[in-house]
Amino acid sequence: MTSFAAPFRDRSQFAPRADYRLAPLRFGRFDAHRYIVTNDVGEYVLLPREQLVAFLGHQLHVSSDAYRALKSRHLLFDQDSECAIDLLALKYRTRAERIASFTGLFMFVVTLRCDHSCHYCQVSRQTEDEASFDMTLEYADRALEFTFRSPSPNIKIELQGGEPLLRFDLVRYIVERGEDLGRKAHKNIAFVIATNMTRLTDEVIAFCKRHDVCLSTSLDGPADLHDQHRPLRGGSSHAATIEGIVRARRALGQDAVSALMTTTPASLARCTEIIDEYVQRGFHSVFLRAMSPYGFAVRTSLIRRYGVEDWLAFYKRGLAHVLEVNRRGYRLREEYTAILLQKLFSPTGSSYVDLQSPAGIGIGGIVFNYDGAVYASDEGRMLAEMNDESFKLGHLGSDSYEDIMLSDALLDPLEATLLESAPMCSDCPFLPCCGADPVFHRATMGEPVGHKAFSAFCARQMGSIRHVISLLEDDMSARRILMEWV
Amino acid sequence: MSDLPIVIENGAAHVTLDLRVYRLTAIKKAAYTIAAQCTVALGAQDGHCQHLTFLAKAGATERSLLEASRVFFQELLDQDLREQISEETSAVRTLVLAHAFSKTDLIRRT
Repeated sequence: MTSFAAPFRDRSQFAPRADYRLAPLRFGRFDAHRYIVTNDVGEYVLLPREQLVAFLGHQLHVSSDAYRALKSRHLLFDQDSECAIDLLALKYRTRAERIASFTGLFMFVVTLRCDHSCHYCQVSRQTEDEASFDMTLEYADRALEFTFRSPSPNIKIELQGGEPLLRFDLVRYIVERGEDLGRKAHKNIAFVIATNMTRLTDEVIAFCKRHDVCLSTSLDGPADLHDQHRPLRGGSSHAATIEGIVRARRALGQDAVSALMTTTPASLARCTEIIDEYVQRGFHSVFLRAMSPYGFAVRTSLIRRYGVEDWLAFYKRGLAHVLEVNRRGYRLREEYTAILLQKLFSPTGSSYVDLQSPAGIGIGGIVFNYDGAVYASDEGRMLAEMNDESFKLGHLGSDSYEDIMLSDALLDPLEATLLESAPMCSDCPFLPCCGADPVFHRATMGEPVGHKAFSAFCARQMGSIRHVISLLEDDMSARRILMEWV
Repeated sequence: MSDLPIVIENGAAHVTLDLRVYRLTAIKKAAYTIAAQCTVALGAQDGHCQHLTFLAKAGATERSLLEASRVFFQELLDQDLREQISEETSAVRTLVLAHAFSKTDLIRRT
């Protein structure tokens, strides 16, 4: 009979150990009773202050729940942590991988002409008959060549305007040529048309179906709310949008059409109606966005008519209603919250270009304007419409890929706004959930870094991140729903 | 009356901190963080003493000035602690980052 002498370690090896080392971490006040401790990969623990002080002073008892939580989230190492550093390094590298992939989103502004007169328009659109505001074939070709210089294996081309379908011929050219170049370069390529749906002919829909093109549109809420700030000559923008959504879905499938809303002062008291409109129209995603401080929103003073606290109240009410909709059995995801959750829990973080460090300007997404100018971001283009060309990187007619991607206009703000070296951001426990927004700070504070104590962007981020983490920690039914969005 | 070591005079609060207790970098970071509530002006150093003046916003009361200075002291403790942590974890942070990027070709070896 075989006997097995299992090699157990001596009992003393399992006794609680008094020593531990701190892992790289940040901490800060979370609410009136708790502090939050985070690491660079988004893991976090909430602690009362006395436990935080004990932890940082190496006095935390090894058998405490706090100790176990901190150790499991790589916020401390002890003699049993044989592979903790390897794991932390792997997680960090995985999250940073996206940076090396480089630019993946390319926005082509095929025309500045539009048939709408949206009050918050960031584009400073031109009327339909101004043909001089269309992109030329030459610039389209150069933009495509530029696009395929990117090392990213996945390319997304977004066709914008104005209303891009006013130049469907150019849209068709870019998609067909882009597909051809994508095949030769062995890259995965996807196309999206950002349209108000008024020019969605059968021909356009058939083309989108043949080439797997997705559509993105604006839906600000019920008809009266949508039409209030999106006037369309001769009809209701809401009616045209809904008709377009229905026709597009019938041909392309439910998921081929997405919608975004913009929060205006009129939206603030109507968040449940807006969300219910999305549910009624069969959407499973809603993005509660704030208004950007660019373009017509500034000229019409819309941007000044609500502040950060107003938007945060709107966001919290909206998210509560989204969670309630889910509890009733309808699957609905709030996209901004999903982005924050991905930054906390997904091994790769989030690919949302507007919330990255280093900033997503240029190296996440880039814009080719109708006139050949190249901008670091859509917001950078909007800022140029306000006579601030800080984020104009060059011109397709005169500048090479190297000239543009190595320009001071791009590299200087990228370096200056890296959160890990920005004042207040470098110490902030919410850094892993956040991102740099150099264009916002240039527009509101005159320089790309911004003084975060005064920053509306920072206040908005902190408020929403705190709220989401509070839900995760204090509301188990909300947590169950939220974790499905990761 | 406040139990904080401050003197309020002519609409401003005056504090003297001991640099043997608080690091100057922590003082500056705390001042930066509460800038939206009040301006903290750093005076000249006198040996190991650092004089600070809290300048309230226009129309602020003595109560709000005291509250701002209270928040400053809370933030000062936190900033000081952050600096200690940063020093303590510097080697591990370098190790983690070096390990994370050890398989890339981003670092030239001569």
